[in-house]
Amino acid sequence: MTTEAPQSIPTPRVEAPREVEAQVFVAPQWKLVWWKFRKHKMAMVSGVILILIYLVALFADFLAPFDPGLTNSTYLYVPPQSIHADFGEGKPGVYVYGVTSTVDPVALRREFTIDPSQVIPLKFWGRGWEYKLLGIFKTNLHLFGPADPAQPAYLLGADRLGRDLLSRMIMGTRISMSIGLVGVFFSLVLGIFLGGISGYYGGSWDQLIQRLIDFLRSIPSIPLWMGLAAAMPLQWPAQRVYFAITVILSLIGWTSLARVVRGRFLSLREEDFVTAARLDGASQPRIIFRHMLPAFTSHIIASITLAIPGMILSETSLSFLGLGLREPVVSWGVLLQDAQDIRSIATAPWLLIPAIAVVVSVLALNFLGDGLRDAADPYTR
Amino acid sequence: MADSSPNILLSVENLKMHFPIRKGFGRKIVGHVRAVDDVSFSVCCGETLGLVGESGCGKTTIGRCILRAYDPTQGAIHYQNGRGQSVDLAQLQGKDLISYRRELRMIFQDPYSSLNPRMTVMDIVAEPLRIHRIAEGREIEDRVAETLRKVGLRPEYMRRYPHAFSGGQRQRIGIARALVLDPRLVVCDEPVSALDVSVQAQILNLLQDLQSEFNLTYLFISHDLSVVEYLANQVAVMYVGLLVEVASTDELFQSPKHPYTEALLSAVPKTVPRRNPQRIILKGDVADPANPPSGCYFHPRCPYAIDRCQTEAPALREIGPGRKVACHLAEQLKLHGVETS
Amino acid sequence: MNTSPLLEISGLKTHFFLDEGTVKAVEGADLMVQHGTTVGIVGESGCGKSVTAYSILQLVESPGKIVAGKILWQRPEATGGDLLDLAALKPNSREIHAIRGGEIAMIFQEPLTSLSPIHTIGDQIVEAIRLHRPVSQEEARRQAVQMLQRVGIPRPEERLDNYPFQLSGGMRQRAMIAMALSCHPSLLIADEPTTALDVTTQAQILELMSELQNDFGMSILLITHNLGVVAEMCDQVVVMYLGQVVEQADTVTLFNDPKHPYTQALMRSIPKIGQRRRGRLDPIKGMVPDPYNRPHGCCFHPRCDKFVPGLCDQQEPPLRKLKSGGMVRCVLYGE
Ligand SMILES: Nc1ncnc2c1ncn2[C@@H]1O[C@H](COP(=O)(O)OP(=O)(O)OP(=O)(O)O)[C@@H](O)[C@H]1O
Ligand SMILES: Nc1ncnc2c1ncn2[C@@H]1O[C@H](COP(=O)(O)OP(=O)(O)OP(=O)(O)O)[C@@H](O)[C@H]1O
Ligand code: SF4
Ligand SMILES: [Mg+2]
Ligand SMILES: [Mg+2]
Repeated sequence: MTTEAPQSIPTPRVEAPREVEAQVFVAPQWKLVWWKFRKHKMAMVSGVILILIYLVALFADFLAPFDPGLTNSTYLYVPPQSIHADFGEGKPGVYVYGVTSTVDPVALRREFTIDPSQVIPLKFWGRGWEYKLLGIFKTNLHLFGPADPAQPAYLLGADRLGRDLLSRMIMGTRISMSIGLVGVFFSLVLGIFLGGISGYYGGSWDQLIQRLIDFLRSIPSIPLWMGLAAAMPLQWPAQRVYFAITVILSLIGWTSLARVVRGRFLSLREEDFVTAARLDGASQPRIIFRHMLPAFTSHIIASITLAIPGMILSETSLSFLGLGLREPVVSWGVLLQDAQDIRSIATAPWLLIPAIAVVVSVLALNFLGDGLRDAADPYTR
Repeated sequence: MADSSPNILLSVENLKMHFPIRKGFGRKIVGHVRAVDDVSFSVCCGETLGLVGESGCGKTTIGRCILRAYDPTQGAIHYQNGRGQSVDLAQLQGKDLISYRRELRMIFQDPYSSLNPRMTVMDIVAEPLRIHRIAEGREIEDRVAETLRKVGLRPEYMRRYPHAFSGGQRQRIGIARALVLDPRLVVCDEPVSALDVSVQAQILNLLQDLQSEFNLTYLFISHDLSVVEYLANQVAVMYVGLLVEVASTDELFQSPKHPYTEALLSAVPKTVPRRNPQRIILKGDVADPANPPSGCYFHPRCPYAIDRCQTEAPALREIGPGRKVACHLAEQLKLHGVETS
Repeated sequence: MNTSPLLEISGLKTHFFLDEGTVKAVEGADLMVQHGTTVGIVGESGCGKSVTAYSILQLVESPGKIVAGKILWQRPEATGGDLLDLAALKPNSREIHAIRGGEIAMIFQEPLTSLSPIHTIGDQIVEAIRLHRPVSQEEARRQAVQMLQRVGIPRPEERLDNYPFQLSGGMRQRAMIAMALSCHPSLLIADEPTTALDVTTQAQILELMSELQNDFGMSILLITHNLGVVAEMCDQVVVMYLGQVVEQADTVTLFNDPKHPYTQALMRSIPKIGQRRRGRLDPIKGMVPDPYNRPHGCCFHPRCDKFVPGLCDQQEPPLRKLKSGGMVRCVLYGE
């Protein structure tokens, strides 16, 4: 009987094939998400900025002209030395002017003035302090630096110990941007696990976990962090403090992620295609991992992206308050600690520059997250 | 009632499905939605039983209980399996149940939410084959291609995702998924309700062709009486979790015995211009299955109700061969069916 | 009785300008609503029924625009009695605000989308009344109770303080109707008013609508895809396909002698109650093309069983008047 079915074979929409359409028809989820994301200009720009920031974090020591820990008592609070270029015959190429110091007779303070008579040439691929590239290759090659490593070239000025702010900011990128990632990773594990149980099994587990989340959310976060951070022994090494801080941050951070995961599970559980999988005889892990999880990976990625800025800000504020990371670790928060009192801001306003880095990266992450969230579900009709 | 006529494929006895209503902090159970409340019927092999009733009366719940997507609160679901043995599906658990998932399949109402948008047509249709390890490698692909051809889709499109297809085509994919395991009983839960009128006819024809070719048995759930009349051999009418009438299609449409059936038939808009002089307009709303009325659930709306209806619930009783009605007045009333055109 | 039509739409085109292309949602709609009659618009999903209705009230959403055509509206005596082209009005001009809800009211398929979930039924009806009439709060409330009673809602005083979610589907639709009719409009546009309802509730609502029409003497533009509803309710029927009116006739003629191949095929394809099993149904082949690539020529020609090669696929047939009084857009009915 059905051999006469051709009569009822519908002429599919693709009968008049438009190349683009045919592509859309076989496009898997990530492609659709990407096509949708691409339309979000701000998110695209932010994505590029973030890639750059993370590249900086990765190659921080190669990019930093000076050893971030190197103090220099002759150059305390040197103001930024701006870059000049002159590529004529026998000219220095890219250079900065040197500085001369005078002592203010009234305030008895050392002051620096830019001295155009001194020219300090900069050199690309120059040699400087020694480090391990990517933690493996020992080298002292740097992207740029003063041709003579002993001469000053503080492009963003120096701090109270005469350390190069630019180098410290570049090195700080590493900690500040990674503490967000690591913290989010911990909250992700907790959030998916607890949110998944909550949403998939429901019932009393759900009740328990929801109440726990309510409880954690009702605790004001700053005092909680302060309490936990204060409990950290002062003699702990820097790595351990770093780890402890991320754990503290993610203890709060997982709750919102768990809510997202639970919500998706709850709504997916009712979807017909999940019932269909159950009626196909699929086992529970198969239903979860093959049918349900792919439906919200993109949502999770979007939520993660939106959670990172919170982590970065928390680290910055904790360190700023002196409760988070401490010297000799370098992070943006630690750098901002120097800009705490009015006096140092008045004499050395450039110490606030790390705040710009915080703002830019947080904004970029937020825009990127917004774009991802909008593109996360390309199937809405 | 456990009749063992060899022709009966499925016989449901006293099926009940009560959903708990939970409230408050401790999620205490404060009541039950009696979605299905003591329902019995049977379906013969190769035939179609139409299950009709209004929204929320429990049609889907019955279908899902039979497929064991829900665990019934009570009752037996006797199924005559391929080897001629009778099993009670309601009692099966775990592994035993899995093998029956091959023989009993479902077609869903919503062609959009019933297909996973992240899987290709190939993966969707092949999923049951993979789960039951029926085929491997190329063989899977061949089986899928063959099934797609059966339901009138081009096998070349199996690398596509569901979003490449229209509602009607998606419904065909859903049918292919149900048929790929060579089932014996298919529960069709409103398979054409979400489709355009011009596509409905294509799918109804397809379902009919497949039935005669593969000797399928359908439990066909619908709220559209004209569709049920077209497809079903037997019709069961539901009202608030209960069956109120079961009869062969012709009898039911010609001479209904339950006032609700009569009202239902008369409410269907007829495609004959301005010719509906004595349509029955029911008062009020469908009863709430969490809090049904006393006596006959239909009595607050029934134009023929007597005092007895308020207090005493009528049982579903046999009033003729293959004819069951749950109404105190079944024998007395002279009810109108639809005129045959 | 006024003999000029209450509403006359001619050559209406409403397009949506999207990134993916232009959706010609309405591409040539012509229809006429006489005083006190019911006109049905039928057609499959996506054929432009709702967009036509939205165009009348200038409610088309933003990438959409009326690009051509006239919508002539005969204003009632009370507001001047002049003839107004609604298509030429600005979407938020004073006139259209006065007409929306006042002279032309609309009810929707899903009452929850047009009833605000955060206000009580009473507040919403009172607001609708006071928007168009200079009456006091108490007077408006009294009228609201009266309206609710009129549409068959039991205990209207109590229901007035209910929120929409506290009512059943049928009750909500009744409340919608009460709200729409509270200002005694001369035209009621009902966009699939019963599609989301059960048959018995549908019967109640349809009955109510014809009763109210008799009482208030208004015209109804009834949008539906259910031919049965059309047969029972309408005096005139307009059949739409892919944004175009392909046939228009009075109901009896349309059902007894459909002219356009699409109408004929549609009638054949639906299972009709009381017909018994008669073998296979007779479906329309293929499916509705997607709105971005409309077929050249007559837009139904790829699915038409009376297709004349070289003619139908070449140029678009115009909507022609027939001797019987109806209109049809098909080359088979040329002069
Ligand atoms: N999982 C559930 N939990 C609680 N109540 C449920 C559940 N599923 C269904 N119900 C309730 O059981 C009743 C019957 O629902 P069911 O879906 O079977 O109706 P139906 O006849 O299929 O209706 P429709 O025509 O709308 O599909 C309804 O009142 C519904 O609210
Ligand atoms: N806001 C919008 N943006 C883009 N396209 C739209 C929009 N609204 C409607 N359309 C398109 O216009 C066409 C007609 O839509 P319309 O809502 O009028 O159909 P309909 O006949 O009312 O169908 P239904 O029976 O499904 O309500 C469709 O192809 C639809 O995709
Ligand atoms: S114009 Fe031609 S193709 Fe179009 S409906 Fe008429 S006969 Fe069919
Ligand atoms: Mg259902
Ligand atoms: Mg519509």
